[in-house]
Amino acid sequence: MFKKFFSLMLITIIYSLVSANEPKVIYPFEDSVHEERFLSLLNELRCPKCQGSNLAGSNAPIANDLKREVYKLVKSGKTEEEVKTYLIDRYGNFIVYDPPFRPDTYALWLGPFFIFLITLFIILVILLTRFSNSKGNQ
Amino acid sequence: MKRILNLMPLVVFGILVVVLYSFLTQENEQLESVLVDQSVPEFKLPALENPNNILSKSSVNKLPALINVWATWCIACRVEHPFLMQLKNKSTLTVYGLNYKDDRKKALDLLENEGNPFEFSIFDQQGKLAIDLGVYGAPETFFVDKEGIIRERHVGALTQKVWKEKFEKFLNEDNDV
Repeated sequence: MFKKFFSLMLITIIYSLVSANEPKVIYPFEDSVHEERFLSLLNELRCPKCQGSNLAGSNAPIANDLKREVYKLVKSGKTEEEVKTYLIDRYGNFIVYDPPFRPDTYALWLGPFFIFLITLFIILVILLTRFSNSKGNQ
Repeated sequence: MKRILNLMPLVVFGILVVVLYSFLTQENEQLESVLVDQSVPEFKLPALENPNNILSKSSVNKLPALINVWATWCIACRVEHPFLMQLKNKSTLTVYGLNYKDDRKKALDLLENEGNPFEFSIFDQQGKLAIDLGVYGAPETFFVDKEGIIRERHVGALTQKVWKEKFEKFLNEDNDV
């Protein structure tokens, strides 16, 4: 049973490694710095059509067009920031998974902080009541 | 006090359910349009009708205009086609086509059979101008005002309703000036 599970897991890992290396075949680079930049950009940029996945994980026509565009830009020596700015100018902050800080996104940015504060408050209250209860019992 | 405290997790859970549910039903398909209030990007692409005719930004000169991104593989484009034909009859507006990642022959056949609502179509097989416009699917429609500035963008089929809600006001505004 354990053996079966283990081999299944190994196969999954190997497959994921193979697919992660796929872009290398289609997009050749002479400079390994450029290549690394290209691959990391594909992982960080979002596919505008299939909103759940990044460019690396998508095969939609628009994703392939954008990959080609990123490839050209990186090959011509553009930095990571420059490529991102280029795409933000066309597709908005959406494409870099980086929502802007403005009224309609306040909940997104500040929500977790508030939940943290509320949780902290609840824990404190619980601890305090316990403490005073045990003191009262003595 | 203790009873209220015991109910706290339930209350928090309830609030979370309501908040998350409201996000779930929110329409999130439309991306923000960075190009609104910007000028039409520069381009150099062949005309659909004639590959030797190289079009550029200055070819889009009968303003105000709509730029409609379409393709033969795009089903929703067929839906909006009759309405584009109607718009063609408006003397105050020009409709330009951006034929997006398409086959030239198929596209020309479609225009011949179904009618051609466009002044001309730009043939963008690689999706080059489409990337500059921030297009992520067809159909998409842009309104370009008299000054060559993009004022509005719509993703999805352009229907009478969409036209009235999103575009018509710009046409009126342009006529007033």
